[in-house]
Amino acid sequence: MPVLEVRDLSIRFGGLQALEGVNIDVNEWEIVGLIGPNGAGKTTAFNCITGFYKPNTGSVRYRGQDVTRMPPHRKAAMGFGRTFQNVGMVKSATALENLKTAQHAKIGYDVMSGLAGASATWREEKELEDKANAILDLLDLSSIRSTKVGGLSYGTLKLLELGCALATDPDILLLDEPSSGMGPDESDELGERLLVLRKEFGLTMLLIEHHVPLVLRVCDHVYVLNFGRLLAEGQPSVIQTHPEVVAAYLGGEAPEALAQTQVTDEDAALDEATSDALEHDAADAPARRTPARKTSPRKAAAKASTKSAAKSAAPKATAAKSAAPKATAAKSAAPKATAAKATAPKPAASEGTPAAAKKAPAKRAPRKVAPADETASMQAGADEETA
Amino acid sequence: MAVTQAAAVGVDAGTPEAARPFRPSLPGLVLRGLIFAGLAYVVLAVLPANADRAGKASDAVVFAMVGISLNIIIGYTGQLSLGHQGFVGAGAFAAAYSSTKQGAPFFLALLIAMAVTGIFALLLGLVALRITGLYLALITLVFGLTLEVSLFEVQEFTNGGQGQPALRPDWLIENSRFYYFGLALLTVIVYVDWRLTRTKTGRALLALRENERVAAAFGINVTAYKLLAFVMSGVIAGLAGALFGYRFENVTGADFDFFLALTYVLMVVVGGLNSRVGVILGAVLFSPFGLDNLFEIDSVHDFVAGIPGIGEGRIQFMPRMIGAFLLIQTVVLNPGGIAQQLRPLTSWLGGKKFSLHGDKDSGPGVVEGSSARA
Repeated sequence: MPVLEVRDLSIRFGGLQALEGVNIDVNEWEIVGLIGPNGAGKTTAFNCITGFYKPNTGSVRYRGQDVTRMPPHRKAAMGFGRTFQNVGMVKSATALENLKTAQHAKIGYDVMSGLAGASATWREEKELEDKANAILDLLDLSSIRSTKVGGLSYGTLKLLELGCALATDPDILLLDEPSSGMGPDESDELGERLLVLRKEFGLTMLLIEHHVPLVLRVCDHVYVLNFGRLLAEGQPSVIQTHPEVVAAYLGGEAPEALAQTQVTDEDAALDEATSDALEHDAADAPARRTPARKTSPRKAAAKASTKSAAKSAAPKATAAKSAAPKATAAKSAAPKATAAKATAPKPAASEGTPAAAKKAPAKRAPRKVAPADETASMQAGADEETA
Repeated sequence: MAVTQAAAVGVDAGTPEAARPFRPSLPGLVLRGLIFAGLAYVVLAVLPANADRAGKASDAVVFAMVGISLNIIIGYTGQLSLGHQGFVGAGAFAAAYSSTKQGAPFFLALLIAMAVTGIFALLLGLVALRITGLYLALITLVFGLTLEVSLFEVQEFTNGGQGQPALRPDWLIENSRFYYFGLALLTVIVYVDWRLTRTKTGRALLALRENERVAAAFGINVTAYKLLAFVMSGVIAGLAGALFGYRFENVTGADFDFFLALTYVLMVVVGGLNSRVGVILGAVLFSPFGLDNLFEIDSVHDFVAGIPGIGEGRIQFMPRMIGAFLLIQTVVLNPGGIAQQLRPLTSWLGGKKFSLHGDKDSGPGVVEGSSARA
């Protein structure tokens, strides 16, 4: 039985269908990624899952129990730990106080004995403090114990927020962009931390994340949202090469990419073939933007030979294309990628890809498409994301 | 604050907060002890020595209770209540009516007063669940004004406009005893309020004041704690109201006009939100025992009356003038109020090292620069 089972989740805000028919499964011990371009509905999905929004249709089941309509504080008490995109903590309180506040649901004494000052209260307050200190030590944050949270740097805040989520003693942890505000090194470290935390606390995690290396590093499974629908799901390495996903990220907004693309009927046909060939595909074809067709034919060609090989090769094509969104560059690079794959062993191809992509694309595409882009090391598909 | 920190040092010794290896020296301890002894002497012996002074000091005690009550709403939950005179009035009338008209014993009358205002506060709390900020302030304003012209005008309660008698029991007839009794209740209230800020309740209120979503993510029942805050505030205000009634042994609707509500807000803000010491000092200052009393002292009276431009005729406006001035300087210069300015002193009294820059380890209830967000 999955820890978290989201079925046919839909929510509408006025004229905007923020989520439509979203299905997400998170199994015990899994770290599942939820990715997608801005406005895709990732955070909305989080809010529905954690009870902050009431979905119009669909259900959220936690270990078999229907918790769709349960208020957020009860979900928190039953094991949903979450963080927020813009850091959810009590800013005027110290780090230690925040960690104590986060343990609220696990506190055994009731309000009245607390007000009366029963001895059990004192004892338990001490325990809360010990646990808070233990978490600070675990995250190497002991130095900010008595610092007011409002004055901390963004990266530290994010880490401390993770600590607060841990302090709620969660069973499943929902992290909304845990690495935002962190540099590449810090986010690598975060990835290690998440893996360690999973091991030590037996946690299951669902995370929204834009930092692709982190997703590749920690996620067992990835769901891709676009325009409120599930676009694809699968293993991170597979998702990375998924043409629909690539298209969704690059969108129709990259002008150079658009200009150099001529959509032919054959392209479209090939595109469809690709979609069918790849496992899961919830998106409707008309919603696709042109770049999808631009990349997919190549992939389709590659796929024709061997499916898995195509997957490992495709990132290179993607990377090359986004790296230099010029028609010539992309076109010359793509065949090369395919060729390289044919000769080189598969792992080498797929490993080389992220690195290659990491260097190049950050400069151009993001500036055009997403002025608010903050992490320079974002790669290929993630370029367009903003926080 | 002093209360809080004194306890923090005494009880949490060994915790990281006390890890800073500062221990007051022996002369320091003696000096602090002497100051506390002096304060205790003034509060416990000097004030009640004279019946008239004891009466005014009990006014200050009642104001202090209202201050703590109001601080729970303005300080801890971050909402503005402009109708607190309604709670106090409801408490006063409930106690007076139940004891005089229904013959309830003194303590039962106090409990009834607390229950009645608790219910009023619960109703207002239900409103506060849906409305916050300025609009809630307006609703509390209307709440107070409505009580003034409705409940406080009912013939049965007001005894036909003459005021409802609220006679003290025999053992409280002396003003000094009444003062001691009020002081004892105030001590209990301060203790409860201190426990509130030091337990999960205070942390929950702080969290939901800042961000209700975060609070909910921490497993805090936002609805329940908001209601709890309002009910606690109402119950304390009701007790204060009952004492208010017994203090003058007669309750009239005119006692609870809107100006009183403003005075309450003023004293809490000027005293220092989220600070018990500040709120109590503010309450004393704005109570009849404070500024009003000050200008009745002959030497002060004569001196101020002698200042050109003020004179005998205008001296009655002086307390309000000073109140307004204090409010302005609080809002502009030190949002923490009197408590903020006294913090070096109070934290020194609490056993910390003397420092003009304050300390970082303030408890959860102490928020730098916080003010009512209307």
